[in-house]
Amino acid sequence: MDTSKLASTPLHRGAEADLSLATIGPWRVVIKHRVRKEYRNPSLDRQIRHDRTVSEASIIHEAKMAGARVPSIVGIDVENNAIAMTYLEGTVARERLDEMGISEARKLLRSIGEQIGLLHAAGIVHGDLTTSNVIVSASGTPSIVDFGMSRRSLESEDRGVDLHLLQRSIVASHSKSVSSMMNAMIRGYEQTAGRKIAGSTWRKAREIARRGRYFAIR
Amino acid sequence: MCLGIESTAHTFGASLVDDEDRIVTNVNSTYRPPPGIGIHPRKASEHLASVADEIVKAALTAKDDSSIDPDVIAYAAGPGLGPCLRIGATVGRALSSFLKKPLVPVHHGVAHLDIAMSIAKSRDPLAVLVSGGHTSILVHVGKRWRVYGETQDITLGNLLDMFAREAKLPSPGGLSVSKEAAKGVNMIRLPYTVKGNDVAYSGLLTAATSALQRQGNLADICFSLQETAFAMLAEAVERSLVQTRRSEVLIAGGVAASSRLKEMISSVAADHGASFHPVPVEYSGDCGAQIACSGRLAYESGLTISTSDSFVIPRWRLDEVDVPWIPRN
Repeated sequence: MDTSKLASTPLHRGAEADLSLATIGPWRVVIKHRVRKEYRNPSLDRQIRHDRTVSEASIIHEAKMAGARVPSIVGIDVENNAIAMTYLEGTVARERLDEMGISEARKLLRSIGEQIGLLHAAGIVHGDLTTSNVIVSASGTPSIVDFGMSRRSLESEDRGVDLHLLQRSIVASHSKSVSSMMNAMIRGYEQTAGRKIAGSTWRKAREIARRGRYFAIR
Repeated sequence: MCLGIESTAHTFGASLVDDEDRIVTNVNSTYRPPPGIGIHPRKASEHLASVADEIVKAALTAKDDSSIDPDVIAYAAGPGLGPCLRIGATVGRALSSFLKKPLVPVHHGVAHLDIAMSIAKSRDPLAVLVSGGHTSILVHVGKRWRVYGETQDITLGNLLDMFAREAKLPSPGGLSVSKEAAKGVNMIRLPYTVKGNDVAYSGLLTAATSALQRQGNLADICFSLQETAFAMLAEAVERSLVQTRRSEVLIAGGVAASSRLKEMISSVAADHGASFHPVPVEYSGDCGAQIACSGRLAYESGLTISTSDSFVIPRWRLDEVDVPWIPRN
C-alpha cells in the first residue's frame, strides 16, 4: 500500500508520528506516519521507524483477534513507515468523563476495564493508557487507540503501569471519586482478564503509585 | 558572597559566587585514573585531601591578590562517593565554624541544573541532566524537581566511561569516545532501548563491548555507540517535551560537554518551538561553581544546617530535595 499519494487532512502531531485523515474505499481511515527524525543517524532512523511500524500494526491486529475494540488495520505502507487504520467515530474519554455524573462515569469505566482486561489477558500492554487514548462512541462504548508504545508483556509490573496511568488521568476529571471509579474499572477488568491477573496487576499498580514516579503534569 | 565546595567524586573544587549570581572565582583539581581503570574511591579521596587547602586558598583570593571572606559556606552533601564527600564536608564544617558563617548542604545534581539555569537565565525548563551519576529528564513541579524520564539501569556517563575503559581509552570516557567517533563512518546495529520516557543502556554497553572483543573497528563502534545512545535520549526528551509543553530545554552535567549530544537535543527543541540552553563546556563537569551557585540560592531560601547535622548522603535522589527557588525570576 502506498499512502503517500492519498489525499489526506492533518489530524494531530505527536512526538514520533503525524496523524492524518483519508478515505480508502468505503473506509474513513487514520494514517499514522512515523516521521523522519533529523537528530537520528539516517540508517538507524530508517530501521527504528520500520520496526515500530510493523510491530505496532501487528499488535493492533493481535488485540483485535483477542476481541478488544481497537481500530482495524486497513493497510501497512512499509516504504513510508505508515499504518492505515479505521477511523473511530466518537469523543475522547477524558472529555466525556468531564461531563458525566458519577454513576454514568462508573459504567463507562467498567466497560473500559473490560477492554483493558482483554488486552492484558492476550499479553499486550498499552504503554500509554490515559483517558485521552480511549474513544467513546455516541452510544457509550469505548475503544482503545494509539498503540505506539504498546508491547507484548506478561509482567504484572507493565500491566500495573497501564492501570496506574489510567488512574492518574482520571484524577484530573474526577478527583473526588477516583477510588470509586477505579473500583468499577477493576470489576470490568476482572471479568475479562480473570481474577489472577486482576489481583497481581492491581497490587502492582498501587505499589507503582507509592513510588511516585509517574505523575500527572496537567 | 557564597563559597561552594565540590568533592563528590573525582574533582575537588572551590568557588565564590557573589550576591548578583556572578562567578567570582572557580578553582578545581581532578583526579585522573590511568587508562583502563576506574575511579578508586580511596585513591580519589586521597587526591582531594591533598589539594583541598591550596584550592580553597586560591578560590578565596581575588584577582588583585587580596583575600575574600565568604558570607556563606556551601558543600556538596551528596550524592557521591562516601570517602570523597567526607573530604569536602570536613573542609566546609571547619571553615563554617572557624569563620562563624552559616553552612548550607547542596545536592550535586540540583547544583548542575542551578548553574546551567543561572548562566542561561532559564526560568522553568525541561531539564536534561547527563553525567556519571545522573541520566534524567526533569521538570519542576511544586517545590521539587520531578523525574519525567530516566535511565532504568546505568547512566550515560557510566556507559561511555565503562566502554572507554574496556577499549583502554583515557578518562574522561565521553571525550575519548567522541574523538574516536569522529573517525567512524559505518553504523553498526546496536540495541536501541527506549521505554516511554525512559532509556536503558546496559544492553547497549554489552553489545558494544562484545563488538570490541570481536576485533571490530574501534572508530566505527564508538561512532555507532554514540549515535545510538544519544538518539535514545533525544527521543525520550522529545516525548517528555511534547507531554510537558515546556518552552525551554536545558542540558547540564558532564556529558552535556558533548557537541553531538547538544546538536541532537537542540534539534528536538527547535522542532517543538522550544529554546535550547546548553551549559557552557567549562561548567558542564563537576566544579566548585555549581555548588556555590546552588548554595547561594538555598541560603536565600533559608536552607542552612548546623555543623552537628551536616552529614554526607552518598545516595540521595534528586527528586527528594526541596528546591523552592524555581521557577527563577
